[in-house]
Amino acid sequence: MEATIEVSGLRKRYGPTVALDGMTFTVAPGKVTGFVGPNGAGKSTTMRVILGLDSVDEGHALVGGRPYRSLRHPLRQVGSLLDASALQPSRTGRNHLLWLAHSQGLGARRVDEVAERVGLTSAIRRKAGGYSLGMRQRLGIAAALLGDPPVLVLDEPVNGMDPEGIRWVRGFLRALAAEGRAVLVSSHLMSELQDTADHVVIAGRGKVIADVGVAELIEAASGARVTVRTSDRTAAMTVLARAGATVAVTATDTLTVSGLSGERVVALLGEDSVPFSEVSAHRASLEEAYMELTRDAVEFHAAGDAR
Amino acid sequence: MKEALRVEWTKLRTVPGTGWLLAAVVLLTVALGVVASSAVTCSGTGCGQDPAKISLTGIAFGQAVVAVLAVLAVGGEYGTGMIRVTFAALPRRSTVLVAKAAVVGALVLVAGAVAVLVSVLAGRLILPGNGFTEAHGHAVLSLADGPVVRAAVGSVLYLVLVGLLSVGVATVVRDAAAAIGVVLGLLYLFPIVAAVVSDPDWFKRLHRISPMTAGLAVQATTDVAALPISPWAGLGVLGLWAAGALLAGGLVLQLRDA
Repeated sequence: MEATIEVSGLRKRYGPTVALDGMTFTVAPGKVTGFVGPNGAGKSTTMRVILGLDSVDEGHALVGGRPYRSLRHPLRQVGSLLDASALQPSRTGRNHLLWLAHSQGLGARRVDEVAERVGLTSAIRRKAGGYSLGMRQRLGIAAALLGDPPVLVLDEPVNGMDPEGIRWVRGFLRALAAEGRAVLVSSHLMSELQDTADHVVIAGRGKVIADVGVAELIEAASGARVTVRTSDRTAAMTVLARAGATVAVTATDTLTVSGLSGERVVALLGEDSVPFSEVSAHRASLEEAYMELTRDAVEFHAAGDAR
Repeated sequence: MKEALRVEWTKLRTVPGTGWLLAAVVLLTVALGVVASSAVTCSGTGCGQDPAKISLTGIAFGQAVVAVLAVLAVGGEYGTGMIRVTFAALPRRSTVLVAKAAVVGALVLVAGAVAVLVSVLAGRLILPGNGFTEAHGHAVLSLADGPVVRAAVGSVLYLVLVGLLSVGVATVVRDAAAAIGVVLGLLYLFPIVAAVVSDPDWFKRLHRISPMTAGLAVQATTDVAALPISPWAGLGVLGLWAAGALLAGGLVLQLRDA
């Protein structure tokens, strides 16, 4: 099976509420695709539609070119984790994986393999109700890996994990993508996807706002800007503004300058003997890029509410 | 289908509640049967008592535990959201429902058979001491006796059908507590309402459509002709309720999001 997810023109309403408003994107193999947006943007609904759990009024979602519900052993094609707490607390982690394995014609050996791969071997025979949220996330990821699927769909997998767990998930997702799998991972925090996602699909109000490579996105948001660290902020601002630059204060001793190259900034500050300790090309964080991209939509939203 | 059956069997056998509830079905049914058999006396010929029915009194209580067991097999998954994991693994929802009904039905069949056999045995040992003797027109309870066999087999099937009804209701309602309420209401409300209805026609009608009263007609071994509904037809009424609930459950699974 081709490792792709194709989401096309999904529309869904719950009474007067529009949950999905033409959601369209594709997920390519060999990459981690981040699915980002505020709560209520339609991320989870889209994932449930991909997995054949929710119906839509319009549009379709295909996995490897086929509707999920037509797959013979779906977990061998698509591994998924929607809600790590969706298990019966009185059953052991191992038995939870066991019934799932049985649903795909797999056996107990595969269960122990995936438990080991997520580092849960020592706790796997304990009742899942006693697991921390981080351990449940690991169990959920183990469940997603049971069928060794070419496609993975994970809804907020680092939610509730400690920093070490988060680092583990990041490395793990990258490794899965490096094996050629298509990995779709959602988050409501763009920063969680930094250093993980190769590509991001940004959703808002049931549709895609941006569908872009991470490198590209950061480059665009960074622009041709220069960061200047100086102890004499006023003098630096005067000099640079006179030369035609747009200057913004980003911290007490830091300015972000656009419209001038780094070399030119150094030259101008040197000419007027303005002290500075650092001049560097500005590099936006993924979070910053995200804010930049969604700012217009947010402003429009605020203005709309004021009316 | 084979995989779905295996999944439901694995699920049920790996939660401790299943074993306890099945044991409770047997214990409660037998205990109440013993109490009833010990409490009822037959003072003379034509005392109007039905020894088979008395020994199987516990079924009317054991069914509540069966309902809890069957409802939890479905409602427990809705409560935790695990039902989505199930349907992601097995997208053919009607297959999942059939598998759940089959596994629950099979477990209840086994527990019910044990409960009924022990109850009849207890009745056979206790009742003669309370006046249910040949002299008073009562043969010793025996599974060689046609109507007694029908009462016993029918009682086991009765419990199985209550289990299936509960699976169907829980699938429609999607909430364990509400589903248990609905099932127990369906079972116990009809007899209560019928008890306060004075009109004999309505009394008869209520008994004919009530899943519990009609279903338990299968236990009667004396005065069968005087029953509002014949024994097997009565069990059939419960069968219709169960089939209706399962069909409604199947329909809801197709129409609604998981």
